[in-house]
Amino acid sequence: MPDPGKGIVRFLPEGVDVPLSPGDSLLAHALRAGVPLLAPCGGESRCGKCRVAVAGAARGGDDPGALSPADRSAGIRLACRCVPLSGVVAVTVLPESRPARLSAYLDGKDMAGDGPFLPLQRAVPGGRPLGVALDLGTSTLAGALVDLSDGNVLARASADNPQMACGEDLISRVVFAEETPGGFEFLRERLLQGVASLVSRLLARTPLRGEITDVCAAGNTVISHVLCGLSPSPIRRPPYRPVQKEYPVVTGRALGIGVAPDAQWRIFPSLGGFVGGDVVADILASGMHREEEVSLLFDVGTNGEVALGNRDWRIACSSSAGPAFEGGDIGCGMRAYPGAIESVRIDRETGAAEWTVIGRKPPAGLCGSGILDLCAEMFRAGLVDRAGRFVRRGGAALRSTDRGEAYVVVPAEQSATGQEVTLCEADLKSVLRTKAALCAAAEAMLRAVGLPLGAVARVYVAGGFGNFLDLRSALTIGLFPPFPLPRFVPLGNASLAGAIGALRNRRRWREALELAPATLYHDLSADPAFMELYQRALFLPHTDAERYRAALSGTEATR
Amino acid sequence: MALTALDIYKLLPKTNCKDCGFPTCLAFAMQMAAGKATVDLCPHASEEAKETLGAAAAPPLPKVTIGTGGSEVVLGDETVLFRHEKTFYHPTAFAVSVADDLSPAAFADRLRAIRSLSFERVGQRISVDLVALRCVSGDPAGYARAAASALTATGLPLVLLAPAAPLATAAEAVGGSRPLLAPPHSDLEAAAKIAAERKLPLRVRARGIEGLSAALRSARAAGAKELVADPAAESLADAVADAIHIRRLAILARNRDLAYPAAFDLGDPFPDPFGAAALLIPRYGSLLVLDTADPAEILPLLTLRQNVFTDPQRPIQVEPGVYPIGNVTASSPVLITTNFSLTYFTVRGDVEASRVPAYLLIADVDGMSVLTAWAAGKFTGESIAKMLSGCGIEEKVGHRTLILPGMVARLSGRIEELSSWRVLVGPQESSALPPYLRRLPPAAFDPANA
Amino acid sequence: MTVALPEQRFPGRVLPVTLPAAPGGIPVTVGGQNALPYAPEGDRPNPPAVGMEVRSGAEELPPSLEAAIGSLSGDPVALARRCISGWGARFLFLSLDGCHPDSGGKSVADGAALVREILGAVPAPVIVGGCGDEDVDARLFPAVAEAAPRPVFLSYAEEKNYRLMAGAALAYGHGLVSWSPIDINMAKQINLLLADLGFPPERVVMDPLTGGLGYGLEYTCSIVERIRLAGLSGDAMLARPVLCHLGDAWKAREASDASEGSWGDVDRRGRRWEEATGLACLAAGADLLVCRHPGSVARLSGAAWR
Repeated sequence: MPDPGKGIVRFLPEGVDVPLSPGDSLLAHALRAGVPLLAPCGGESRCGKCRVAVAGAARGGDDPGALSPADRSAGIRLACRCVPLSGVVAVTVLPESRPARLSAYLDGKDMAGDGPFLPLQRAVPGGRPLGVALDLGTSTLAGALVDLSDGNVLARASADNPQMACGEDLISRVVFAEETPGGFEFLRERLLQGVASLVSRLLARTPLRGEITDVCAAGNTVISHVLCGLSPSPIRRPPYRPVQKEYPVVTGRALGIGVAPDAQWRIFPSLGGFVGGDVVADILASGMHREEEVSLLFDVGTNGEVALGNRDWRIACSSSAGPAFEGGDIGCGMRAYPGAIESVRIDRETGAAEWTVIGRKPPAGLCGSGILDLCAEMFRAGLVDRAGRFVRRGGAALRSTDRGEAYVVVPAEQSATGQEVTLCEADLKSVLRTKAALCAAAEAMLRAVGLPLGAVARVYVAGGFGNFLDLRSALTIGLFPPFPLPRFVPLGNASLAGAIGALRNRRRWREALELAPATLYHDLSADPAFMELYQRALFLPHTDAERYRAALSGTEATR
Repeated sequence: MALTALDIYKLLPKTNCKDCGFPTCLAFAMQMAAGKATVDLCPHASEEAKETLGAAAAPPLPKVTIGTGGSEVVLGDETVLFRHEKTFYHPTAFAVSVADDLSPAAFADRLRAIRSLSFERVGQRISVDLVALRCVSGDPAGYARAAASALTATGLPLVLLAPAAPLATAAEAVGGSRPLLAPPHSDLEAAAKIAAERKLPLRVRARGIEGLSAALRSARAAGAKELVADPAAESLADAVADAIHIRRLAILARNRDLAYPAAFDLGDPFPDPFGAAALLIPRYGSLLVLDTADPAEILPLLTLRQNVFTDPQRPIQVEPGVYPIGNVTASSPVLITTNFSLTYFTVRGDVEASRVPAYLLIADVDGMSVLTAWAAGKFTGESIAKMLSGCGIEEKVGHRTLILPGMVARLSGRIEELSSWRVLVGPQESSALPPYLRRLPPAAFDPANA
Repeated sequence: MTVALPEQRFPGRVLPVTLPAAPGGIPVTVGGQNALPYAPEGDRPNPPAVGMEVRSGAEELPPSLEAAIGSLSGDPVALARRCISGWGARFLFLSLDGCHPDSGGKSVADGAALVREILGAVPAPVIVGGCGDEDVDARLFPAVAEAAPRPVFLSYAEEKNYRLMAGAALAYGHGLVSWSPIDINMAKQINLLLADLGFPPERVVMDPLTGGLGYGLEYTCSIVERIRLAGLSGDAMLARPVLCHLGDAWKAREASDASEGSWGDVDRRGRRWEEATGLACLAAGADLLVCRHPGSVARLSGAAWR
């Protein structure tokens, strides 16, 4: 508990307290507390977006240029310029200042993003060279069009991966390719069509004309194999190795794809059967391969990849976590598109839910970050026990549905579909299994190399669950091991950011080629510790719950 | 090895040159930390690395070998106090005794009885490992003849429990078979000299840890090298306490002077040999001498040994095959699942709880659970169809209906295609089996409907 | 020259738990130790206790058990009396397997009545086990909890039913056996769930599921060792007495099959099968053993001297 004599900053409506740190802005306090607050300019007081309502002793942040007189007298301030002074300073984050972007799949942070612009190819004479960066995910394809004459991103677009028709997860698709006559060709054709259509949409989104000269594609190993016409079957048979880990640079024509026939297509190298070029691109974007300190990187998606290491050594694995944080496996789950609930609060007295929706539309379902928040809130409100089972509280919005006992998030009359938006016990179990796999994967690798949690300086989080990851919710349910909140760095779609980075700077492409073979692929199915760590993590937040209390209280762990 | 993978990695060249056969230096370090590789695989390791990593790998409890060739018995070479920390490597060796003063017929009978203490369990052969020849006659020539005879009749290595003179003659007669010399405390020095000359293993017997410490020192001074320590315990309590002390001295204290495999003579007049044997199997007894050749006593002890000395790190699996549950008949339902132990126990338990007699087919998938095995391509339509025709179930039941775990319902088409069986999709969770089995229509299992 | 003997000292202690008895009976207290079983150092104030199982349903007994208890197997009350006063069992494990719908389907009322009768007939502590059918047990345990004239322990609570079991136990002052299927994490988890409900830890003993000799015993022993090591090292949720039910030993072919001549006399073999199972559990850290053969009581109690 922070010492009241020294001052407290209290964020509402979360009810999160952090000790008042004299001289630090409210934005800095918010970051420390893990409270999401929009600050697209990075806290440099340029955008005027970080509006908060302040009650208590505070100074600054009331510049006439950014706020109207009505705002100022209502106590609204810009968090990046407002400094709390003493006592209890209550800060309410206004709804419009909560990060809520439209599409989670297109924005990613490249930690070395301000590097020099050194395109892969010299500009073609007489035309504008264009580059396409692709993130080929299991459920979603995402792309960006880059002007290779100056490095600007001209357009972004995403699409569902048409391979879903052949199976929701990678193994099912490989089985489809093996067992259906013509399956592999069909699977490949769907991918090529999906990519071609995405590229066409990118071109249509910019008035600028030019010719695509380079494509950088980051995808998992199965997808990379299919793209190149390689059979992915060896990946799921002993000894579970991909046909190859590096892919030749080929033209679009050679690939047989209908767009960019003369462009050079570069596909990020894979690390192993279930950790592919998308993770290499993640690592590239995070910069962890250049740092002396040890970092962890999570890619929170169906494959749940985790990487650990620094510039000297790295190790990575796939936890096969499951699609719960992409909305899959969950009854009312959906991808992070308009209409998806992305954050939830549960009223402790009535048990009713309040939510925010992407695109401010009526809610149609829950995306990854919404599911995460909902589970955390249900646990905090005492609606479920540590094993994820509902606790009957009589009165709280628990209803019997055809999927079993369920918590009603959105009543039918308020939802976009006319159906209730619910979360049932089976959904919670899915979430539990997904988060346990991810958490245990990280713990298994730390144990395999012999490092304690305290040795990890930074935790990068990438993935398409929604843009802001409520870290407090994540630690409340134990999605990650209990690292102190300030160590987390959300990256968004780091695979796409890494691919864009490689397009903009040829040295980074070379970095990717070098870092891949020096990163060890860790097979969790051969790791005897993993199953046990998984069972241990199959609890809210964890069977060893004590460690999470310190992380959530905002105090820096001592080990 | 107490060093972590990263500790080891820091001592390596870190060039990822792959000369050691592993993809990166970190991978090599992880193998060394797991005890699966040694530093000599790296041609570029520094002297410092070789010294630190070589020393760390030396076993705290040295190995002692008795016997030769296929019937060789290895004692010691252990690294942990609890099997879950890694594993126990060398099972407790059992020696059953025979006295040298029996009539030839009785002697032969006894040896035959010892020889027959060999059983097959879950695909492994478990047997008594040694014959302990007690010198009751006091006659050196007679003892040597008995030793030669025991060796020929059983093919098992010998423990020669005799004073100096008979020990010498027997060592002369059967030394080539590498017997364990087991003199009484009074004859230790003489026996140690024989052990040194003939390079044979020697059991050093003395009362208590202090006594052993002195006796082992004398044995070493006489030149004997491979030693086994017997603390001459007279009760179950002392035996277990001594075994714990000796093992801790080796592993916790790294006390080289007392780091030896521990041996116990549980023959007459030791009180409660069965109880002591059962406790010493998990608690650090390396060699036990027993007077009983009763299979009713030995089989449970051999089974306990088999259990304790399985490697906990290998996925716990059960033997694949056909498991009848309850009073099965030719129209009992047939279910299939995988040979991961927990899967097997869970499903078996649920079938038992249903009180519906049934056959449970356990498929060999290297101990994986149902979904994992499917994803790894080990539990497929093909493999199941193959098992159905090969495991003998078709001779046991008149029907051809198989109940498949709900999680792999998608395999049903393929199974029906490749075999003459029909598939019913069972519940997703094993716990739903009791109501599921109770509600099955008997017509599904009537041979007339096959 | 004295050899310095290494010791293993631990900061924690196993929580003592008492199985209560009626006036005239002797309660059983286990736990309280701060060292591993048979270790030369440390305090072990309460030696492990051996009890016997009495079943309410009919079944075919293996030859060893038929010989020893066959004549009493249709009369649970008489068997219960003999277990305590004749054979030295310190507590009873009463399994209401007769209430299983497929075992003759005695009613819940019958089950509750039997509990009342047995508790009246013997003053020793009693643990009551269910029939194994989830639906029947959900009605049986509340009835048993109410009918029992004095406190017993109810076996068992697991993740699926712990609220019902804790409710029944709390309402009538009984204790609980917390159960997990040979998994140390699940063992800790069920204790955490019970603690969240406010169930008093000194009324809980742990059953990690005991596999019989040859059929999973080593998994049990390793889990029991790990539970004990964790508990003694400071994990309060695992610093609890452990109960090992040796009944699974009798399911082994080797314990009951008379046809294999090379396996020796079936009566002796069956007894040794149960005894070896029990000894391994004691070596790992078991505090309470439930056996079925009267001979095992004396044999295992003797070995439980520490």
